Amino acid sequence: MQILWANIGYYADCCLIPFYRLTGYALTDYFIGTFVLGMICVAVGELTVSLALKLNKRYLDELKAEIETKEQLSFNAYKAGDQRSYKALNKQATDAWGKQFFTMAAYSAGILWPLPFALAWLNMRFQAVDFPLAFPLSLLFGPSVGYTFTFIPIYILGRIIFKYLRPWLPYFRGVQSLLDKQKVKEAG
Amino acid sequence: MRNRRVHWMLCWLVIFGLVVMPAMMAAPAFAESLSDAIAKAAKGTEAGQIDPDGAKGYLGIPGGPQLNPIIGLLWAVWVGWIFSTVGAFGGIMAGVGHITIYGLGSYAKTFKTSAPDLNKFLTDSIRVSNQWLVGLSALISSINYQRQKRLVPALGFFLGIGALFATLLIVFTTAGKIKFSQYQGYFGLCVFLIGGFMIYEMSPRGQASKKEAQAAAKAFENTIKSKGDILDQGVKTLKWSLAKTEISFFGQKFSFSPLWAFFGGFLISAVASFIGVGGGFLYVPFLTSVVGLPMFVVAGTSALSVLIGMIFSIFNFMVLKGVMVHWPLIGVELIGIFVGSMIGPRTGKYIPAKVLKGIFIFLALFIGLRYTLRGFFGINIV
Repeated sequence: MQILWANIGYYADCCLIPFYRLTGYALTDYFIGTFVLGMICVAVGELTVSLALKLNKRYLDELKAEIETKEQLSFNAYKAGDQRSYKALNKQATDAWGKQFFTMAAYSAGILWPLPFALAWLNMRFQAVDFPLAFPLSLLFGPSVGYTFTFIPIYILGRIIFKYLRPWLPYFRGVQSLLDKQKVKEAG
Repeated sequence: MRNRRVHWMLCWLVIFGLVVMPAMMAAPAFAESLSDAIAKAAKGTEAGQIDPDGAKGYLGIPGGPQLNPIIGLLWAVWVGWIFSTVGAFGGIMAGVGHITIYGLGSYAKTFKTSAPDLNKFLTDSIRVSNQWLVGLSALISSINYQRQKRLVPALGFFLGIGALFATLLIVFTTAGKIKFSQYQGYFGLCVFLIGGFMIYEMSPRGQASKKEAQAAAKAFENTIKSKGDILDQGVKTLKWSLAKTEISFFGQKFSFSPLWAFFGGFLISAVASFIGVGGGFLYVPFLTSVVGLPMFVVAGTSALSVLIGMIFSIFNFMVLKGVMVHWPLIGVELIGIFVGSMIGPRTGKYIPAKVLKGIFIFLALFIGLRYTLRGFFGINIV
């Protein structure tokens, strides 16, 4: 098994290390390389979840329709002051909401699965590297921090940038139009 | 405007929880790191000893267990399948994977007397690995529910304050102090609790209440022909104070007591942080029955509560106490959960809901009994 992980690590090195040597300035290169790694995580995660949404669209639409019906009825009951019906419908909707809740939770895995692999690779390459912190950050986080401290904010930045890039990227352009249609449908 | 203020309050809560409070209490940080624990352990090739020449395994421990990613993936597919067909029991099964299936529990147990620090460090690692899976799952759910305006930020804020104090309490009183056997015992009791919920739902009383609800809902459905005029959509916080907070959803007003939310958040997060589960199975009945909110906002708000609790807990365990997780295992598990959740909706419909629930009640009783007896009394039933 160690051989497998070592091979994966080797291929990851081949793809990523060039970005960590771009300018020759260690800190700048670290941020460039880590940003590229973060963007790869974002793109792979988005690709996975978009495929999942397409494959399971029918199931998700059915679930959504069931929830919407129950929701509508329940609020009509509440509005009419019919507490008994409101509570009954609320209870009945629990199953549908529960299903949707856990399905969405599982889809989160589809978006975020590249993250731990990226952290594992960073751990292999940068575990021994400490980033000294200046005051006042040093007061809060200690004199130095590790790779996680920099990677997570860079990944979040990558997600924000990707959101704006999506309408211009091949394949993701289609995903964006699907999301836009969904938005219009929900608003209507 | 009010909503924006509540969002800011939530942001400040997270900053306060992750930065200020831990900074004030950070003195004992990293007291028991993995390398310290390994250094203290007896050296040798017997069980309960560290073999310095052995291949690096779990967390890079020399001679530690070599995790098989195929087994990890297959088990996680099963967890994902449960998530998308049954729901809450998936988190428990993820925990069972870490404890039993990957062999981490039995490995930790070998150090019970020979290297207690390592035993406790591995226990914390198992707890935090569970929390990573739950926390990451809750993250995207919370964002989606927020987009749909189905979160109650004010409620999340009060639950979050409770969660903050609870996780700090749990981390500082239990990190590096809980033996694996104790953890296994408490985990078993927690599974019993979930099993109890499931049995109640299947019991004549639980079924009768469900039928009654179905009948009432059907009757109302028949009387309403039109969809009605829905004036406004999404959650809005109308008024919030320590005594009573009012929200509106679809133009209807609901109120709740922030103090109840605080105590609920505290108790549920304490259990969730200690056991290493999300606590969604406790949040949902708490928010619907005690706080009295409609299910339509409960799902999102409980996802947010789970997320806040998990962020605090993971941060405190990992940053303040130096607990580590095996990243490749978490990654493989996320892939498996995702694959399982894709298969779930396509296959789950062929198994009647009652049969499914029956299977999971059996599993809950079996796992609960096995872990409780083994953890607290050292009795091995299988």
